[in-house]
Amino acid sequence: MIRNHFKISIRNLWKNKTLSLLNLIGLSIGVSSVLTLLFSVYTYYTADEYIPEKDSIVYLKTFLKDGNDYTEVPYPLLGKLVNSSTEVIAGTHMHGWGNIWLESEKKDFQNRTDYVDPEFFDVFDIPLKYGDSKTALKEKYSIVLTNKVSQQIFGDINPVGKTLIGADTLNLKVTGVFEPISPYSSFRIGVLLPNTVLEDNPNFIAQTNWNNSFSPVYVRLRPNGDIAKFKSTVNQLVRDNYQDPTTIADVKVMPFPKMRTDVIPVVDIIITSSIAASFFILFIILVNLLNLNTSTMLSRTKTIAVRKVLGSNKRSLIVQYCIENGILVFISILLSGFLFLTINLPRLNDTFGPEFGRISFDVFKDYPIVVGIVIIGVLSTLMVSIFPSLRFVKIPVTYGIKGKIQQIKNNFLLRNSFIILQFTIALLCISVAIILNKQIGFMKNADLGFERDNILVGNIDLDYKNIDVAQSKFNALLNELESNPYVISVSTSQAVPSDYYFNYTIYHDPVNNKDVRTRRSYADDSYLKTLDIPIIEGRHFNKNLDKPDEYPVIINEATLKAFGWESIEGRRLNFKGNQNSGHPIIGVVKDFHYQDLQNSVEPLVHIYRDRKALKAHRFLTVRVQEGHEASIESFIASTFNTISSRKTYVSSSLIDKVSGQYLLIEGILKSVNITAIIAIFISCLGLFGLISFSAKRKVKEIGIRKVLGAGVFKIVILLSKDYIILVAIAILIAFPITWYIMNSWLDSFAYSISIKWWMFGLSALIAFLITSFTLGIRAIKSAVANPINSLKTE
Amino acid sequence: MNTKLLSLNEATRTVNSGSNKVALLDNINIQVYEGEFISLMGPSGSGKSTLLNCIGMLDNFTGGGYTFLGEPVHSMKEKNRSKLYKEYIGFVFQAYHLIDELTVWENIETPLLYKSIKSSERKALVADMLDRFNIVGKKDLFPQQLSGGQQQLVGIARALIGKPKLILADEPTGNLNSKQSTEIMELFSQLNKEGVTIIQATHSEKNASYGSRIVNLLDGKIVPE
Repeated sequence: MIRNHFKISIRNLWKNKTLSLLNLIGLSIGVSSVLTLLFSVYTYYTADEYIPEKDSIVYLKTFLKDGNDYTEVPYPLLGKLVNSSTEVIAGTHMHGWGNIWLESEKKDFQNRTDYVDPEFFDVFDIPLKYGDSKTALKEKYSIVLTNKVSQQIFGDINPVGKTLIGADTLNLKVTGVFEPISPYSSFRIGVLLPNTVLEDNPNFIAQTNWNNSFSPVYVRLRPNGDIAKFKSTVNQLVRDNYQDPTTIADVKVMPFPKMRTDVIPVVDIIITSSIAASFFILFIILVNLLNLNTSTMLSRTKTIAVRKVLGSNKRSLIVQYCIENGILVFISILLSGFLFLTINLPRLNDTFGPEFGRISFDVFKDYPIVVGIVIIGVLSTLMVSIFPSLRFVKIPVTYGIKGKIQQIKNNFLLRNSFIILQFTIALLCISVAIILNKQIGFMKNADLGFERDNILVGNIDLDYKNIDVAQSKFNALLNELESNPYVISVSTSQAVPSDYYFNYTIYHDPVNNKDVRTRRSYADDSYLKTLDIPIIEGRHFNKNLDKPDEYPVIINEATLKAFGWESIEGRRLNFKGNQNSGHPIIGVVKDFHYQDLQNSVEPLVHIYRDRKALKAHRFLTVRVQEGHEASIESFIASTFNTISSRKTYVSSSLIDKVSGQYLLIEGILKSVNITAIIAIFISCLGLFGLISFSAKRKVKEIGIRKVLGAGVFKIVILLSKDYIILVAIAILIAFPITWYIMNSWLDSFAYSISIKWWMFGLSALIAFLITSFTLGIRAIKSAVANPINSLKTE
Repeated sequence: MNTKLLSLNEATRTVNSGSNKVALLDNINIQVYEGEFISLMGPSGSGKSTLLNCIGMLDNFTGGGYTFLGEPVHSMKEKNRSKLYKEYIGFVFQAYHLIDELTVWENIETPLLYKSIKSSERKALVADMLDRFNIVGKKDLFPQQLSGGQQQLVGIARALIGKPKLILADEPTGNLNSKQSTEIMELFSQLNKEGVTIIQATHSEKNASYGSRIVNLLDGKIVPE
């Protein structure tokens, strides 16, 4: 019997090939999104499971009187706490002190470095892949690596016992390697070093007082310990030792398992909305499948009736239908698993960036997800099969056998609301995509106030091993470039457009008594000329007139305006609080967009530096004659390859650097586009199901109308008009929402387009075209059907 | 005389049409004995199909008594009723009503599936039936690939596979040409001789003449002879 059911199911699915395929695609896409969302939620919740007994771990958090808070506390606090509290089993600092360069077999590696106490593993008893956690950090010159770093440096071998040269001077022995750590974990670590290494560093020792809060602290408490007692010890120590009790309000004891959401509160929102989104998607695709199933059920009323006459009971009919849908659902689940592993998971990983390890799917570890999706599959199958089939198996045999289906009632209100909801979302996505696209185009093509064509930018901040050798080779390179006929201009600078530091400095004008915050950058005498930025007052830097040790500056218009000056004549830039220091101002440049167009042009100061000052500059900017970019670029790169450095030389065109500023927004645009396509596809699938349903119900009506002389077009209108009205309602709902959202979003750009009516018009047109196409296929099919055939079925 | 197969005692079926009660069947009294071949005759709307449906238990009388093999059908529960017709009654339709998705073999096999008969036994029974109707060569074809006469042949084979005591045929030759009709009626005649009781509804005097007894219906009433 079951075999028979399967056979019939497969034949039925095959018979309705188009519909089965559409269903399969819709389901697979939907389920794979659900799978991805659920997987990331699951991974998030299980990411810290490798840390044993984490419930008795706490961390300390400093709260300031001004409302700010941070997870760092003064260094001496932990020592006192361990000594004076009976509730503590162990405690550890965990702080950065610059990321250490590690050398192995002549290669250099730099990863996030955290300094911890030898008791680290007493607090976090994290299992090691290699090495013994009891002794791993006890010795001064030991180092523990994450699996990722170990693979990067040593490959797949066990590196315990090997030596790494740290910062050119330290012989660090590898004593342990962690098991792979999820990027969702509370810990984003690279390598761990014992704090004792830092104790040789006078700069570090100078910071280890009660004035500086720079070290996060983790403490393992006794199981069932008296947490209140521990808290009071912390409070007592804070009261006794903090030298400036006016700023610090409190140091609180926080549970470690809550740290992730405490540090990044948005995570909680992301997780909740992921769960909500996956339920929503699931709901929409199930409603669609239900609609489509109802429409195909109609053609089955006769078969159902015949089967009942032949002795079938209702249960057997429903079981058969469940199997049919089950096949569809589970093939989709397999497909979506494939989509998930090949497309969604890699994309998910890309959004986190590769530096903290990738999340991967492991059946043995992640089987709850498989179980979950199977349960969802079974429940969905039951839902989409039982509801429609129950309605149809109840039809009396005597009606069913004649194909009389008019008496089946529909819940039109509910169904129409779904259609409107789906189309509202689809329209929202389409119009957001159009507006976003326009804004990105605007920002990329806008006049930025500087020349960006034929300009190469190379990064020359490379951690040179021997700065003197590097400097002399660099000088030679500059000379060669200056004499190269294809090079129009050469310059060096600390920053280039798209990559200025956020190093604000406050300058003070004693005459107006005005403070202005500016950003600063070093530049040589030809930087502004190379970028073709016009001087509106004064002059460019000149190596014959300007002396680097006088720190002459060129300010931008925004600075001029911010000070309220008419001219720079007789003005100097003075540091606030020190009227004798400061810079002579030799010129003013026209404002140019040195950051992206989301931000306005802020006050900016360029300070003169000699072109050859390799240590001061980060970029080598070369303007070349068109057509010679590649040869010049490879010439520069080959020179840098002869200079030994820890980082490798990379270069790009200024156009790419400027466009690169919009990668994030373009990423958003991409996902909006995909969402729009999925949304419209799923909505149309639902519409297709509905119009098929009503076309079948109206077969007789259509036949009669045709006999009475109605044309194809009239019939198409008859069938489609209700749905077109639904889409129109969706448009009315979607546009004000889009307008509101996009308007406030565009407001956050310093320079933005304004929303025009045609943008909505275009998205409405797209929606109408796609809807009409979907409806049209089905409607025309019924409209051109021979009325003799449709009337004969009665 | 043979044993009594079924009897209707003042059986009535009324439906509500708007605010009026319309009697589709009005005080039908009829006794059917095993081995009979009854032809129901009458114009369209006279209640032939309704009577067949009600006898076949696909529909219910709204009044009166219906006894099938000594059991009171009118007071039975739906479940027992369907058990009863599954066991003893086979249906033949004007439009054949074969299941389009199934091959000839599978169509004939279907009633056996619902009776939970073992696979080996099913095979034997279906093979016998195909043999008997000379359609072995068509067993893997789908209904659309057959002529009307052949489809009806399969329909009858399907009705017979469960070894019913009673065959109900609603205009079995209504969609067939005269040659095919004759063949089908000859077949019914043959089956009747082998002991199957048959009730057919028909418009055709010629077809009616194959029967052993003719019952005329008009406006839901039996016309006295």
